[in-house]
Amino acid sequence: MTVTVIPEATVQTTGGTTRATLRRNFWRGVWRVLRRKPSRMAGVVIVLLFAVMGLIGPLLYPDHLPRDDNALYSPPSLQHPFGTDFEGTDVLALVVTGARYVLLTGLATAVITVALGTAIGLFAGFRRGRWDTALMRLTDMNLAIPGLPLLLVLSAVWKFESPIEMGLVLGLLGWGGVARAVRSQTLSLRERGFIEAARGLGLPTTHIIGRELLPSMAPYIAMNMLIAVTGAVYAQVGLFFLGVLPFEANNWGVMLNLAVFNGGALTTPAALPYLLAPLLAILLLTLGIVLIVDAMDEIFNPRLREE
Amino acid sequence: MTRSRGGAVARRVAGHLIRGLVMVWVVATISFVIIREIPGNPVQGQYESLIQKGMSPEQAERATAVLYGFLPTGSLWDQYTGYLGSLLHFDLGRSLSTPGVEVTTLIGHAARWTVLPVLAGTLLSFLLGVTMGVYAAIKRSGKLGDLLALSGSLLHGVPVYVIGLLLTAIFTTLWPILPSGGPVDVEFVPGLNPGYVGSLLQHAVLPVVTYTLASYGGWILAMKSNVVAVLGDDFILAAELRGLKRGIVFRYLARNAILPLFTILALSIGMLFGGSIFIEEIFNYPGLGLLLVNSISSRDYALMGGTFLVITVGIIVANIAADLLYTAIDPRVRSGGSA
Repeated sequence: MTVTVIPEATVQTTGGTTRATLRRNFWRGVWRVLRRKPSRMAGVVIVLLFAVMGLIGPLLYPDHLPRDDNALYSPPSLQHPFGTDFEGTDVLALVVTGARYVLLTGLATAVITVALGTAIGLFAGFRRGRWDTALMRLTDMNLAIPGLPLLLVLSAVWKFESPIEMGLVLGLLGWGGVARAVRSQTLSLRERGFIEAARGLGLPTTHIIGRELLPSMAPYIAMNMLIAVTGAVYAQVGLFFLGVLPFEANNWGVMLNLAVFNGGALTTPAALPYLLAPLLAILLLTLGIVLIVDAMDEIFNPRLREE
Repeated sequence: MTRSRGGAVARRVAGHLIRGLVMVWVVATISFVIIREIPGNPVQGQYESLIQKGMSPEQAERATAVLYGFLPTGSLWDQYTGYLGSLLHFDLGRSLSTPGVEVTTLIGHAARWTVLPVLAGTLLSFLLGVTMGVYAAIKRSGKLGDLLALSGSLLHGVPVYVIGLLLTAIFTTLWPILPSGGPVDVEFVPGLNPGYVGSLLQHAVLPVVTYTLASYGGWILAMKSNVVAVLGDDFILAAELRGLKRGIVFRYLARNAILPLFTILALSIGMLFGGSIFIEEIFNYPGLGLLLVNSISSRDYALMGGTFLVITVGIIVANIAADLLYTAIDPRVRSGGSA
């Protein structure tokens, strides 16, 4: 489900003033890539929109969303763009206030996935030998055990009360792909001239890893992080949709669950907007992230540049 | 075939099998730990409630052991070896929510509702994705190619329950032409009569289409990039220069591009097995995924552990089988990668 991208390594920068110019050129390049295809700009706008939604969304509405007993499952109107739910609450408000939980989990998962995966991949690729073999066996195992059934069974023991806890579990289950990609990248980079030069100069290992290796891999670590966000959003919305977790807070998965299993959205058209609104939110978020990853791929992978 | 080559193949097979067994053991251990760590300790609870009902401790102990596959008393190590021991005899305990029925029986009944649709969906998506992938590669600079690649990226990126929910919303609510849930209409007598079979097929359409769409994206994207790579190879140019018929060139192309796809086969089957949890919940299809979700909500932990084990082991076995299949058909892997 999660896809791992492996683009080419990027140019190394050295020296104070050249670094500044390179940085300026870099941002100019970013701007050019974004401008050439408007769809990529749309990706940035969509993701920013969701970020704002997660940050200030819950502040826009009162703590307890107003209910309207006279307008249960009312059809979309100007007042309620996506209709109302089974209690007469505005569906759009539910989507906006539910975004924080979903996105926070996604962010926590992405940070843990990428931190663990990068650390393990770097270590295995740099040390090689016995450590490498052992860590890659572990990675294979992590990749081979299917995540969703395990998550379901874990939910019987652990109720994942906060988004951070949920992110922790999802991250611990999902680092395999990143680890393998980072390892293969490390294996190929450590044979390159600039790493050999650094080693020849007798620079400490921390410098080689932190200053030489990591910056070369930063772009695709960032891309994998974005992709990990979508994976985490799917997984946790799915868990809440299945109804195996207690409903702590309003979020998109809870909405899907209530729409399908309480509202009968699959048999009565009235509850359909209530079902479609969170689905639409997921699709839009995916689209935004896919567009950004596509743009990043072109910025950092010179082979794809069409200049 | 030389002796050393045969030995290499045997070593490879043995390596896969050993790794598979280790994985199964790890999964069984996880399952044991989870059942033991469930809040409220259901195993101990069952034992105590049986004693309160007037059973002697030995009887209660045996009855609980039948349910969960390990003794409620005794050290952690005894419980663990007991659990693994009963697994070796394919004894997964008994269900609580369907009292007295063995977990293996329930799983056996549910398995066909998962395995058949998953296989049908895999086959359909493979045929569809591979054909469309060739088209997308040949027409890659045109509108059609763009559209096909976009359809692949979108379907590949979207979670399976979104596909399932959208299909249900369209074909059972907005335009009700297909049944919305269940494996078959109840009014038909099970058996080989046209009414029953027809209803069975009608109910299978949406789940199978969802499985198909869920893995179609992966196939078309992979096939497209493979064909594009092969298109640049010299032997295709040579074939064209020799004036071979287009059909033969097409066969050259497809044969060489399709081979790497078998590595994704395992991933795809595994993904669909995981996805079955959502698909069966949405379509109320009585397969393994629905069994797992229901066992969790009804706190039937023996059933939960058993279903989890079977689903996971199924995926691991599919992985090994795909690896071996790949070894068998790819001459480069077969000869130990020296070619």
